[in-house]
Amino acid sequence: MEGLEERIDRLLASAPYRVPPEERSRALLELLRDELGYACERNQALHNYVRHWPTNFQLAQSIADLPYLPVGMLKAQPPLSLVEPGQIKRTLTSSSTTGQLPSRVVLDSPTARRMTKGIVVIVQDFIGSSRRPYLVVDVPGSVRGGPELGARGAAIQSLQPFATTVAYGLSLGGRGELTLDLDKVLEFANNHRGSSVLVYGFTYILWNHLVKPLLTDGISLDMPYVHILHSGGWKRLQDEAVEKRAFNEGLARVFGCSNDSVIDFYGLIENVGIIYPDCPGNKHVPAFGDVIVRDPLTLEPVAVGEQGIVQVCSVLPTSFPGHLLLTEDMAEVVANDGCVCGRRGTCFRFVGRVPKAEVRGCGNIDSRR
Amino acid sequence: MHVIDLPEQITVGAERLRQTGISTEVTPDSILDVFEAWAAALGARDTADIPGVAFLRLWLRRGTLEPIITRELGPGALHADWMEDGRARLKVYPIGVVGHWPAGNIEIQPILSMTCALLGGNACLVRVPGDLVDQTRRLMQKLDQSDAAQVLTGRVFIAAFDHARQDLQEAMARAVDGAMIWGGDEAVLAVRALPFAHWVRLAVFGPRMSIAAIDAGIWCDRYEREPWCRRIARDVWQFDQQACSSPQVLFLERKAGHSPFEFLQDLKKAFEAENRLHPRQTIHPALTSAICQARTAWLLANPANSALFPAGPDWTLLLGSGSEIPKPTQGRTLTVLEVDDLFDPISRLDEGVQTLGLAMKDPEREERLASAAAKRGVNRIVKLGRMHVFVPPWDGVDLIRPMVRMVRHVRSTE
Repeated sequence: MEGLEERIDRLLASAPYRVPPEERSRALLELLRDELGYACERNQALHNYVRHWPTNFQLAQSIADLPYLPVGMLKAQPPLSLVEPGQIKRTLTSSSTTGQLPSRVVLDSPTARRMTKGIVVIVQDFIGSSRRPYLVVDVPGSVRGGPELGARGAAIQSLQPFATTVAYGLSLGGRGELTLDLDKVLEFANNHRGSSVLVYGFTYILWNHLVKPLLTDGISLDMPYVHILHSGGWKRLQDEAVEKRAFNEGLARVFGCSNDSVIDFYGLIENVGIIYPDCPGNKHVPAFGDVIVRDPLTLEPVAVGEQGIVQVCSVLPTSFPGHLLLTEDMAEVVANDGCVCGRRGTCFRFVGRVPKAEVRGCGNIDSRR
Repeated sequence: MHVIDLPEQITVGAERLRQTGISTEVTPDSILDVFEAWAAALGARDTADIPGVAFLRLWLRRGTLEPIITRELGPGALHADWMEDGRARLKVYPIGVVGHWPAGNIEIQPILSMTCALLGGNACLVRVPGDLVDQTRRLMQKLDQSDAAQVLTGRVFIAAFDHARQDLQEAMARAVDGAMIWGGDEAVLAVRALPFAHWVRLAVFGPRMSIAAIDAGIWCDRYEREPWCRRIARDVWQFDQQACSSPQVLFLERKAGHSPFEFLQDLKKAFEAENRLHPRQTIHPALTSAICQARTAWLLANPANSALFPAGPDWTLLLGSGSEIPKPTQGRTLTVLEVDDLFDPISRLDEGVQTLGLAMKDPEREERLASAAAKRGVNRIVKLGRMHVFVPPWDGVDLIRPMVRMVRHVRSTE
């Protein structure tokens, strides 16, 4: 029987958005089942969880029937791992809100390689495969070398295969705050004005540290051939009442490009190797992963047009059990196939984080006396 | 129901209540007549589906409340008589206007809290949490229909406003003579910090949790086990396991030769049956996430841990061993912990535990266990299946008496 590695690589080599949904599901189900078995052999705790799942995963008829892990389980310390400590090359950490533990995702060499490849084939489908100058709207320290890498650093680094040169547009101020390095940004714009360039930044960083100051000063970088990718969520901008349309228009004005050049993508550090860029209306699932949106009342997959809790699936990791993860995000399924952009398979729209429960009644004990 | 936007609306409403209270005296006996009619009206289709209404109807019955009034206020209180007390005589009087801050997780709690103060002859200013406005309105409509003489309706002012409106919260606190406060620690602390006058009586029912325990004599008997499992399921299902009286953990006494899975299988059947009878109509996505997390965390934490659950979030049974109470998940998630001796977990309890639901074969041993639990801070020790029965004292406190004045008259001729 063909080994797991070869089967994963074969899926990774296929066109990410051209495989018919049934064919894709069949291939994924088979591979995910085997990966679960592989993971259970290597992690007794995980095996205990999987064997208590209400149905036998070996007999599952669909990906939705396979046992999934709530993403919060990756906050465990030590991190959930399927490899020996000596094989771990890097640990990715999620951005976490104050007082919360971050997720910790361990990568061995094969998983790290697939992570890079996964992102490349996805992004290629949206911006093409050529290398180009890369402006990172962040500080160089975000991708410091070392055994641990945060969410911002991981996103920045994942786009480096598209870069000929890399420039950082922000620096740290005297109190450690992010500050626009205007000279650097203008120099980058002047040097690459007529050519295709790539820009990436976290959504709120792009807005607060690049768009707002440049709009205020009436500066346009005049870079019509830019692709601007951003991620990290909208929560902070929603708090500032900045909507997606205003955000895109602001970026387009600052760069002197069309609104279509701005691509928002959804991604989780735990879902290594997969991101979900807008097409521009919808987010798509590549051939080597899947997204299932589950009804909170039944945990069954929702129908088209309905909202629920997002589960992400990926065949890429073999160093940690990140194959089937129930996230803390909500989404709406737009279609199971047939998006106007031509990409095959499920497409969805991100709705937001799972809202916090507000009812805190007489039985809600957070702290014992 | 008054949707409040200005502090003056509360001040004016409270003043009207105060005048009604002073000008008209009402006896508990006449209140019980209205309550009886109200209980009957609540059986109608438009209110019968509100969670807890079956219980509320039982609570409002004369047969339930008369003994409570007599025990808390004395034998003459029912007819508002003076009661002889040696050379003096005593009579119960209301304290005035009682403000109610119920928790948002129990649909009938605004009403339950209000009835306690009404029985003391008080007028009531009730703030209804946003999620309970519709249910409370429907329940109060039935009171309107049952109280043609307006014995009680003139003594109640139901106020709906956002809990974050500090100006309205403060206006309410300034307008009352007593306060009944229910809920989680955040809510309770916020209400207690309001500018109450120095004379205001506070009855605080803060966050608590509850546990259950079964001795080996009960669960190892296959014929006895089944009905007890049904009782446990009922206690878990009522109020969706969100009440302070809801069991979150069940301690199971170990016995050689018997596997806890015998018990767990029967409990699973009982949970499935209860779920068929009372399926959830809705769930907050955050609770679904919490349930999934609890299942996974439990099974990942220790390979010896076990669990039973369906594919959906309907219910969860977590099985392990040990005397430590894990953090409650709620959402019909019961942790069953095997222990060698029930006295071990009981000896570790603190005042955070409100109710201990018991099923024990040996009455003498049960008495010792109850005493041990009481000493550790538990306020209610009841039979499993009756954990939510709302009979005072609740949280160790009477429900009517805190909001009345006992007036003593020593005759000058004596």
